[in-house]
Amino acid sequence: MQENHLAKWLNNDLTEAELAAFKKSAEYASYERIVAASNQLRSPDFNADEALMALKNQRTLKDGKVVQLHPFKKFLRVAAAAAIIMFGSYFYLNTLDKNIVTQYAENREILLPDNSEVLLNADSELSFSERKWNKERNVTLKGEAFFRVAKGKRFTVATDAGTVAVLGTQFNVENREGFFEVTCYEGLVSVTFKGKESKLPAGSSFMVIDGKIIEARAAKAEQPSWLNHESSFKSVPLKYVLNEFARQHNITVETKNIDTDQLFTGTFSNTDTKLALKSISAPSQIKFKFEGSKVLFYGN
Amino acid sequence: MKTKNTGNVCEEQVFDAIFKANSKTVFNYIYYKFGNEEKAYDAVQEAFLKLWENCGKVAPDNAKSYVYTVANNLYLNVIKAEKVRLKYADKTLKSTNESPEFLMEEEEFRQKLDRALDRLPENQRSTFLLNRIDGKKYAEIAEMEGVSVKAIEKRMHLALKALREEIEGI
Repeated sequence: MQENHLAKWLNNDLTEAELAAFKKSAEYASYERIVAASNQLRSPDFNADEALMALKNQRTLKDGKVVQLHPFKKFLRVAAAAAIIMFGSYFYLNTLDKNIVTQYAENREILLPDNSEVLLNADSELSFSERKWNKERNVTLKGEAFFRVAKGKRFTVATDAGTVAVLGTQFNVENREGFFEVTCYEGLVSVTFKGKESKLPAGSSFMVIDGKIIEARAAKAEQPSWLNHESSFKSVPLKYVLNEFARQHNITVETKNIDTDQLFTGTFSNTDTKLALKSISAPSQIKFKFEGSKVLFYGN
Repeated sequence: MKTKNTGNVCEEQVFDAIFKANSKTVFNYIYYKFGNEEKAYDAVQEAFLKLWENCGKVAPDNAKSYVYTVANNLYLNVIKAEKVRLKYADKTLKSTNESPEFLMEEEEFRQKLDRALDRLPENQRSTFLLNRIDGKKYAEIAEMEGVSVKAIEKRMHLALKALREEIEGI
């Protein structure tokens, strides 16, 4: 008989001769009975799904213990990063100039740090440094604006055409393409144009058209007409008048058979488009065709 | 029970598959040894928790023997003085035409067998029951126990011999 023949027998590994011999043995019946009875045995119930659920709960509990500090660390990291960004952008933005822009047909009132007032006409841009304001009152202007400057240090308006400097006064600066006009309404304004400084007393204006200085003329109003929602011109080439009309009414202007260099003197409304069209066309003896957001001025 | 385990044990699906394929056997294995359901249940939890914690280090093919080793080691140092009394799930009673005398005799034999099983050394008992109840092949049991197939055959042989001697009062 083989070694461990009982194990071999259970596994059907006995040779026929061995099996026959084993079956003849006295103990065979007993073994047969033991095996038959043990085959009836069943293991206790075990619910694998429940056990897996329990395991997962335990796992998350354990995981929780391990990572408990992480959210706080993460928070600290995020907070530190946020703080750096906030401080960084605060200092960066502080060094940046403040920039105020108006669109077509938009006016804005700006209060400067020293309570000086600026009224920004349509399609204009004003920028200044808040940080340096206490050292120097400098603003940069593109377009047109009216200033009511509080008394104090020298106040400078820089434009790409010329620089306007005052101490405390009310004045209007208009700097459009090819057109530069400063009108003083109160006090004394100093205008520097191409390195030449001119003093402008109250009630007078300084105008440059296409690089040519037009002699200082008396301004009759107490404040610029656009503050009253009107645009006034005195001997100004028609093209600048039409440009101003386009800015105030946000309307595209086209011309045909018209001398746009002819001088225009008059006023048009900044609010009533139809009235303004009449105000422009009648004195200049031109006709216009107005449709939607476009207007065509034409001559004969 | 062969499970195809591709991928990483850390993957929920792979882990779940390993658990479902092996948890019952781990439970039985420990139960046959110590006759304590609670211990067997704890062993399952402990072994698979360890597997999860080390999922990165254990290849799916080794996961099975890993959990058996952990479950086994868990009770290595437990004093085995406790007297083992295994209980088995109630079988559904087959309606039978056997005589009451026969049934009584059968019942008596079952009790003798139970007692004899309880008195077997734990490794013989677990081997015998894994083979008889769970239908595990000798090779599989050898893998679980970390011993040779021949050693399992020896245990099986000795178990049968001891059972007969116990039952017949030799």
